[in-house]
Amino acid sequence: MSAYREEVAQALADGCRFASLHASDQTVRAVLMARDGRPRLVEVTAPDRHIASIVDLVPAANWDEREAADVYGIRFGGHEPLRPLVDHDLDLGSWTVPVRGNDAYQVAVGPIHAGVIESGHFRFHVVGDRILHLDVRLFYKHRGLERAAEGANPDGGLAYAQRACAACAVSNTVAYAHAWEDALGSTPTDELARGRTILLELERLWSHLNDIAAICAGVGLAAGNNRFAGLTERARRLNAALTGHRFLFHTVAVGGSNLHLDADKIAFGRAELDALRDESRSAWRELLFNASFQARLPDVGVISSEDARLLGAVGPAARASGLADDARATSARLAYDGFAPVAPRRTAGDVQARLEQRAVELLQTFEILETLLNRPLAPAVANRGDNERAIGVGHVESPRGATVCIVERNQTRIERLRLRTGSYANWPVVAHAAAGNLLPDFPLINKSFELCYACADR
Amino acid sequence: MLTLLRDLRHLRQTTALPAPERGHSLAIRHVDAGSCNGCEHELTLASSPYYDLQRYGFGIVASPRHADILLVTGAVTTRMRDPLLAAYQAMPEPRRVAAFGDCALGCGVLGLAGEFAGRLEDLIPVDIRIPGCPPTPDTIAAALTQLCDRGGRVAQDDTK
Repeated sequence: MSAYREEVAQALADGCRFASLHASDQTVRAVLMARDGRPRLVEVTAPDRHIASIVDLVPAANWDEREAADVYGIRFGGHEPLRPLVDHDLDLGSWTVPVRGNDAYQVAVGPIHAGVIESGHFRFHVVGDRILHLDVRLFYKHRGLERAAEGANPDGGLAYAQRACAACAVSNTVAYAHAWEDALGSTPTDELARGRTILLELERLWSHLNDIAAICAGVGLAAGNNRFAGLTERARRLNAALTGHRFLFHTVAVGGSNLHLDADKIAFGRAELDALRDESRSAWRELLFNASFQARLPDVGVISSEDARLLGAVGPAARASGLADDARATSARLAYDGFAPVAPRRTAGDVQARLEQRAVELLQTFEILETLLNRPLAPAVANRGDNERAIGVGHVESPRGATVCIVERNQTRIERLRLRTGSYANWPVVAHAAAGNLLPDFPLINKSFELCYACADR
Repeated sequence: MLTLLRDLRHLRQTTALPAPERGHSLAIRHVDAGSCNGCEHELTLASSPYYDLQRYGFGIVASPRHADILLVTGAVTTRMRDPLLAAYQAMPEPRRVAAFGDCALGCGVLGLAGEFAGRLEDLIPVDIRIPGCPPTPDTIAAALTQLCDRGGRVAQDDTK
């Protein structure tokens, strides 16, 4: 076994979880997260770009290796077949899994979908209504943001991390800021950590409300969908009232924060959050007592705990399958003191469990916000340190799961930016969850993950 | 369920936009040509009880065959160029194109130049411009209801 593979195997044996793999020129770097949240970097360089695959050790690295092969021309020995992921130039047979048998046929959906949905292509292999296998083809919205950011300074690169995805704007920019601050050796002050944690939880608040609305839409429960969409609107208005932007754009900076919440804003925010908590509890109770809605949720789109671990599932989806992983528990740079991941009573890994996970996390988010919004928030500057390094890593729990940002730098310029979001980690899990289910249930399964296409495509 | 419906009725009575006076309707086909997902999230909420655009006769339709307006979000990527043009060509006349959000308007686009197919208005004629990053549901409601009031006709100053 090569030294690179041995190092990866050792990290896994030490209890690390795979977090990201990317190529920069002839080098491949894998990031694994230790249980205490510290990143372990494993790298290998090959001038001929032939590098041993680690997918047998870490199936979760599948998409990462395929992307590195397409964009940087790395040949991963042992990754067979190495199907294209970002590259769209090849024919159907090259990127789909062959499915043969009596009456097996394909249903092609997208890239344009029937509602207000982002663009992406799903190719279902089915017999009748039963899904045998799903090939997901994304990257229709690939904008080359990581490469476009190369050469930018810390402030200049921020816009690329934000534009990757509006729904995860805070998570992605905080991960980016953490990566730079890790590289520059600086640490956030308590006030800076508190401000960023407030922003992250405000993002989770509207996002989880939106996800519950989306699951209602997935089974056609218009009343539930509208009720939670109304609460989502109210959460976004709260964002605008506190920060001036409904998606909290331009609130995160590298090395500090200009965000100022005076006593009036704090009082307004607390009152509005109290009202939102009461109303979302009441609306949630209604969903619990709606028998025809509840009957659609169990045993659909099941991800077992073991599959979730192997596929590298993250976020509410992973926790609903019984994995108690949450980057907030080990975020030394944020104000999550005493945080412990929550789980619903039933961690069956199905649509119902993923829905309930959002509901219990919502209550947790209300609690965190109530604690952190107990006094005005002042602008802050990070503490400068002297522990500089060439590569910085940021690790943040987005509403959809762990998001990793890696900055490789030359002085204060970006040499390589890597943004691996919770959505990127979970797309292969969605495909796995669909197999064995009925085709008409796919929208529901998909919405129980509610992933972004934009921050996977970048 | 009754509580949900009562809450919704209350929202509509107290917070939603005023009821429409005219009776036109327009069918909208949305195409994401390469957005950051912000425009989609705001467009979705334009149908929430606070705005409830369906009451003005706006419906998001599943096929371009049924659409009066092609509503495009995002700067057009090379990969979305052909699907976008196919959707446009599938629409019956008269048809209108709305550039939704700053990226579709060609403003402040980020990314590698080689990944984009060029400005939307160089690919298909743009009739309606809805600015914002992303446009707020207020802006969306104002732009679309104005258009509906004119029965889908585009005023001269909109086409410039």
